[in-house]
Amino acid sequence: MTQRYRWPTIGVHWLTVLLIIAAYVLATILEDMTLSPLKLKLYSWHKWVGITVLFLLPLRLLFRFLDPLDHRAGLTALEVKASAAVHGVIYLLLIAVPMFGWLHSSSAGFPVVWLGVLPLPDLVGKDKALADVFKELHEGSVNLLIALVVLHAAAALYHHHIRRDGVLARMVPWLGKKQ
Amino acid sequence: MRYLATLAFFTALVSITVSTPASAQDWKVDYRQSQISFVIKQMNVPVEGGFARYTVKAAFDAAKPEQGTFQVELDIASIDTGSEEGDGEAKRPAWFDTARYPKARFVSKTIKRNNAGSYTVNGDLTLKGRTRPLSVPVVMTPQRGGGWLVSGRALMKRSQFDIGGGEWADPSVVADDLEARFKILLNP
Repeated sequence: MTQRYRWPTIGVHWLTVLLIIAAYVLATILEDMTLSPLKLKLYSWHKWVGITVLFLLPLRLLFRFLDPLDHRAGLTALEVKASAAVHGVIYLLLIAVPMFGWLHSSSAGFPVVWLGVLPLPDLVGKDKALADVFKELHEGSVNLLIALVVLHAAAALYHHHIRRDGVLARMVPWLGKKQ
Repeated sequence: MRYLATLAFFTALVSITVSTPASAQDWKVDYRQSQISFVIKQMNVPVEGGFARYTVKAAFDAAKPEQGTFQVELDIASIDTGSEEGDGEAKRPAWFDTARYPKARFVSKTIKRNNAGSYTVNGDLTLKGRTRPLSVPVVMTPQRGGGWLVSGRALMKRSQFDIGGGEWADPSVVADDLEARFKILLNP
């Protein structure tokens, strides 16, 4: 039987992927819209989804920490370092991207109310110049996150199709069963 | 001669009465220390806005508050909704329709003293051509130098004035309730 992560680890990993795609699609749609009630809704949904990614991160780290799987098995020392670096930066960006978004929202004078229910504190006061800076950082950091996620997925596919070592199947157990 | 003196006396009396109306003093507004703003919820998010240009006329004497008057005129085009795209949208016909209704006006009718420093000002608010009664709780804080800080918050509904109709009518996106806030510094 192929070694795999436990279901909570797998579930929260793929949930994060879906949420990031949803947030990105919402942002892309609303960017070109003129102001309308729908645009205000999309803005809020984008913020709710992004903050959910941020809130899920401690849970993800907890599940990963409790998961007994040793992800280093079968890897060379260089590969262990490379994967640790990429995973480390992805985790940092999973904090940075929503935090920059939250900071942008605060400095633009629009507080974030998660799911329309939980008001989050304003991290900074209203300041237009600062808002522009956080907007750039939010966009820049998400582009970096996407680039690293593509690299991460490419590495997983390399393991699956070329090395055939079951690394991808740890996170996609239904792949492992077919082999 | 006596007739002329009496006439002069009455003329003087009339001119005094006209220049100091109802013993309520007229105050100078320090606009740099004053603010008229509002908070309205969008997707349940409280967003603050305000008006950059307005004029206030205040006549108030703490000894005879019921004889005082407050008049506020807002230049609607000076609205700040918190975002540039919101400022543009607010001027359109669905919202304030500033081309047809450039000004909003509040005129007090009665001032009632509740307790020390606290008053209720009842008056008419005219917004987008619609006049509705508005009751405003006001706190009058005496300032050093004899002035007053007039502050308070008034609750109103935008639907009463047809502000934000059509596609914007849905109160789950932009709330119907809003809170107007003001702080006006009056100097002698």
